[in-house]
Amino acid sequence: MMAKKNKKKGQSKFPVPVPLVALLLVLVGFALVYVCLHSRTETLGREIRGLEAARDRLRDQLVREQCEWAKMQSPSSLEQALKAHGLVMTWPGRDQIVRVRYDGSLDTLHGFESRPMTRVARNNRIVMND
Amino acid sequence: MTDPRGSTRFVFIVALLGLAMAVLVGRLAYLHLGGGNHSQATVAKQRTFKQTLTVPRGRILDGSPAASILALNVGVKDIWVDPSLLNTSNCIGSTLTRLAPLIPIDLAEVLLHINKTNSQFAVISRYISAEKADAVANLKLPGVHMSDSSIRSYPQNIMLCHVLGFANNEGVGSSGIELAMEKLLKGSPGLIESRLDGHRREMVERRTQEIPAKNGADVVLTIDQNLQYMLEKSIDAAMERNRSKAAFAVMERVRTGEILAMVSRPGFDPNKFRDAKDLQKLNRAIGYVYEPGSTFKVSVIAAALNEGIVTPDLMFNTENGRWLYQGKVLRDYHAYAKLNVADILKKSSNIGAAKIAIMLGDARMDRYLRSFGLGSKLGLDLPGEEGGILSPVQKWSPISSSRIAIGQGVAVTGLQMLGVLCAIANDGMLMKPYVVKEVIADDGTVLLRRQPQILSHPIRPETAALMRRLLARVCEEGGTGIKARVDGFSVGGKTGTAQKPISGHYSETDYMASFVGFLPADKPEIGMIVVFDEPQPLHTGGAVSAPVFGEVAEQAVRYLGIIPTENVAPLSNTVQADGPGETF
Repeated sequence: MMAKKNKKKGQSKFPVPVPLVALLLVLVGFALVYVCLHSRTETLGREIRGLEAARDRLRDQLVREQCEWAKMQSPSSLEQALKAHGLVMTWPGRDQIVRVRYDGSLDTLHGFESRPMTRVARNNRIVMND
Repeated sequence: MTDPRGSTRFVFIVALLGLAMAVLVGRLAYLHLGGGNHSQATVAKQRTFKQTLTVPRGRILDGSPAASILALNVGVKDIWVDPSLLNTSNCIGSTLTRLAPLIPIDLAEVLLHINKTNSQFAVISRYISAEKADAVANLKLPGVHMSDSSIRSYPQNIMLCHVLGFANNEGVGSSGIELAMEKLLKGSPGLIESRLDGHRREMVERRTQEIPAKNGADVVLTIDQNLQYMLEKSIDAAMERNRSKAAFAVMERVRTGEILAMVSRPGFDPNKFRDAKDLQKLNRAIGYVYEPGSTFKVSVIAAALNEGIVTPDLMFNTENGRWLYQGKVLRDYHAYAKLNVADILKKSSNIGAAKIAIMLGDARMDRYLRSFGLGSKLGLDLPGEEGGILSPVQKWSPISSSRIAIGQGVAVTGLQMLGVLCAIANDGMLMKPYVVKEVIADDGTVLLRRQPQILSHPIRPETAALMRRLLARVCEEGGTGIKARVDGFSVGGKTGTAQKPISGHYSETDYMASFVGFLPADKPEIGMIVVFDEPQPLHTGGAVSAPVFGEVAEQAVRYLGIIPTENVAPLSNTVQADGPGETF
């Protein structure tokens, strides 16, 4: 006859109840989800901060460029640039202007008929960058 | 676990750990459930982060189609050091030596601040550009830090300085448009309320409040920078040529009252407003009153014509240039025996104008002058406008009207004098002048859009048309304003050469030379006044100011695309100097 198996021999002194284990597993699951979400939000936060910094940097850069552009296209800068390139800019003479009327016809301006050429030459050259 | 002692020990340790856990859990619960309010408040305070989001002021743009930027805020850096760190590491000298070539440093002042060893913050240089700040950052000097700041920048430097004004270092508008439009330009700051982590960095995910900043609105002016440049360039050249003490000029669109250009000299660079003297900051075009001299005759003659008291061909005895009235002598610059009203204006006869004023009468003359906007502010949307001086009619002496008619005993601003001519050019309607065309919010919403506004209607359209023809004669052969002529255009205007009142007497050497006019005379588009203060050696309005008017007007009409029409209707053939007719 076989000896009777001692059931108590394999049992733990502090058996863990299954519901408790399940509860712990759920808690651990929640904790992991929480940690993941927290980590994700932190990452997003860092990204937002970085993007905000980049936006501010770009905004500053845009303003600086606008400022430079405004300086470059000011009449005095244009005049200096023309001078630097040896260009002389003049207003067109009145006899060089042709206006197109609304009806499509062309019209030269009045008052040029009998001016001597020397006078035309003098009056037409209003040097802008002298 | 057969050893009972081992089993007991195990139970004891587990119980101890359990107890410890229970205490920790209890403490945690206590703190979380509000038991440690004081501690919570302290921690929360330390970790709460509040940041006010400063906003740049709005931009100021010109009225040209390109809408060029005239003023804007630019980001800069302030460089500061930690004196305690520099002192303990004994590297003040080496740090400053490496920084000095890159940024402006006032060594004496900086050393004074740095020697305060208990301080952890000392600014060594302000308003450093991004490029220079990058160069400083690349040095990676210990104890050297940077913080963001911004300054108001005026890319055109001196151009339009009096109209733009300036904003001080605190970003508050202090003069010009910057002051007038302060509320709209400054915007409203935002707020971020958040939490800090252990490294005192913001935890963006814990932001509790975020109120976005509202940028300042953009102000668009009526002034065109190209016209402004033409006017400034001509004024500067003429000032140098005529060795003038000061000068001012204004260009206005006669139909609307829009100011197209406004110059005052001496000027200043708004980027360096601290270096400017008060006299440089004065906008003479609106804030300086002067006796206008002969240009004032226009208002009196227009009034007399409007009342029907005189006609252009009515003859006056101009007394061969010397007239004794009420015991006081009045002289003409050029002596004439007789002149009609048209020629009184063309030749600028003082005696003729005085006689017309006497015929008009004090009360009527006063009413007309005030209707022309004289003696009170026109309401320009710029700070610092003066209203001029026109005494109440009750205080006029028996000779007042004869002197006021020739621009003495009365003081006006350049803008007021231009207003008179523009009213004549605009069929007798005096328009309210303005420099702000519109204000546009950051999101594109139009917050303000100015519309032309009629201030008064001093003379009838027919009188205005007649006056335009009379004023056109001033710029024809034999007139005082011939140098204001523009090829292909008829110009209407009036010269003025006023002796300056100094210590109760009129100076024999110091003059205000002016020319005020409009063109084309038959269908006016633009009006302009040009005034020089104490020009030498030439001192007459016809010789000093009229050429500047002509020079600028010639470019302006082309720039604005105004079509030449040299066809002003001639005056009646009966209008001839020294012609027949009744004589006064």
